Amino acid sequence: MRPLPPTVLRQNLLCAAGLAAVLLTSPFPSLQAVVHAALVLALAPRIGAPLSGALWALAAGWAVELSLRLPPHLGGTAWADLTVVLIAGWTAARWPLDGLKDWLARLAALAVLHVLLLHGMVRLAAGPHPWGWSWLWTLLSLPFWGWGVWRLLHPGSTTGRR
Amino acid sequence: MPARAARRRWSRAAWRRLALVLLWLGHGAWVLLGPDAGRTWTRTADTLALPAQGAARQWEGWRSRRRDDSRSLQDLQAENARLAGDLAALRLRDAQEAPRLAEAEEALRVLGLRKLIPLELSAARVLYSTRPAAFGGLILDQGRDHGLVEDQGVLAPEGIVGRIWSVGPTQAKVLPVDAPNASVAVMLIRSRATGVLQGLGASRAHIRYVSNQEVVQPGEAVLTSGLDRVFPRGLLVGHVVRVERGELELELTVQLAAPLDRVSTVLLLPSQPPLEVQQPFVQPEQPKPASRKKGTP
Repeated sequence: MRPLPPTVLRQNLLCAAGLAAVLLTSPFPSLQAVVHAALVLALAPRIGAPLSGALWALAAGWAVELSLRLPPHLGGTAWADLTVVLIAGWTAARWPLDGLKDWLARLAALAVLHVLLLHGMVRLAAGPHPWGWSWLWTLLSLPFWGWGVWRLLHPGSTTGRR
Repeated sequence: MPARAARRRWSRAAWRRLALVLLWLGHGAWVLLGPDAGRTWTRTADTLALPAQGAARQWEGWRSRRRDDSRSLQDLQAENARLAGDLAALRLRDAQEAPRLAEAEEALRVLGLRKLIPLELSAARVLYSTRPAAFGGLILDQGRDHGLVEDQGVLAPEGIVGRIWSVGPTQAKVLPVDAPNASVAVMLIRSRATGVLQGLGASRAHIRYVSNQEVVQPGEAVLTSGLDRVFPRGLLVGHVVRVERGELELELTVQLAAPLDRVSTVLLLPSQPPLEVQQPFVQPEQPKPASRKKGTP
């Protein structure tokens, strides 16, 4: 049985909380990268409402970049977030989810795409830069935050096990 | 009108899609332009203008080449004629200067010989040569007016030329060394054997009265011995070209050193010069020290 989509209010509230978490975790870049990925990949995309998800993703991207201590030419992260959230919304409408496993697998694929787009577009905007290890923490912690977001978005649904 | 207005009015989904597209394109443009948008645009414009600039260069080069190629043939012919005239003038000047140059070179050589021989020498020009005729000689431009007397020796930088045979008021005749009736006291540079040189014509002569006990090799230099009191000792006469052993004496043929057919300026020795001068005309060859073989005591 496919899970029901969350209400608009609930998703927007969760996105606002995620955005606040992105701002609050700015002193800890690795943790901020995980929260940022969760907001862009899991919380913001919504079937049939790409504009709201795009705005949340843009807000998340600009929040991450504006929290940098030495800001280069900004905009690369926001552009990557916007692209990824549009792709995520399109895939969600194209291939509806069946359960938690599908959700985690799609999140993993989107996370890899997000990392590549993020670094490519930041390179276009600001030039070469060190990658760091945030992408690794994001991928390693994906099962945890993916499960958490699944439970927050679909509180009444099962884990997908049959 | 309402139907047309309804067609023009977009739906909310279309507006949202437009906003998304604008957001995406705006961020992309912002990222791609980078921090220095002006420089980016300038570089982009330069890159786009490269083909047009290359075509313009090609076009200008073609026009320049065509302009150069289209110079009139008449201009080229006039330039060729002017250059040909300049070349002819230069050749004429060169031909006019050539005798003076040759004379100057000859004068320099004569001057060098004059410095080499510590005698009071005077110079004279050869007006013409009658050598091809029987008993012919060289006619000099000086005679009794310059104090010339008979039997004065005549020199060229290459070697002796002859002696004065007869003297006129303003000219003198030289009996060349290769004349059949000319004779000069000579000696061989290695053996120091003396003899008498007699002319054979054609710049050749032979030496008489050299004993066949002497060892003479072709190529050996022949010098004046000074015994005839016409030439001092040590002036170059020529080189031995042929050696034949006779019954009593050697038959030596000598190629004279002085170019008797081409000589134009000569030096005149004083009458009755001393037998020996301090600096010989040709340094005699130094005998090589005998080298001992290794191992011989």
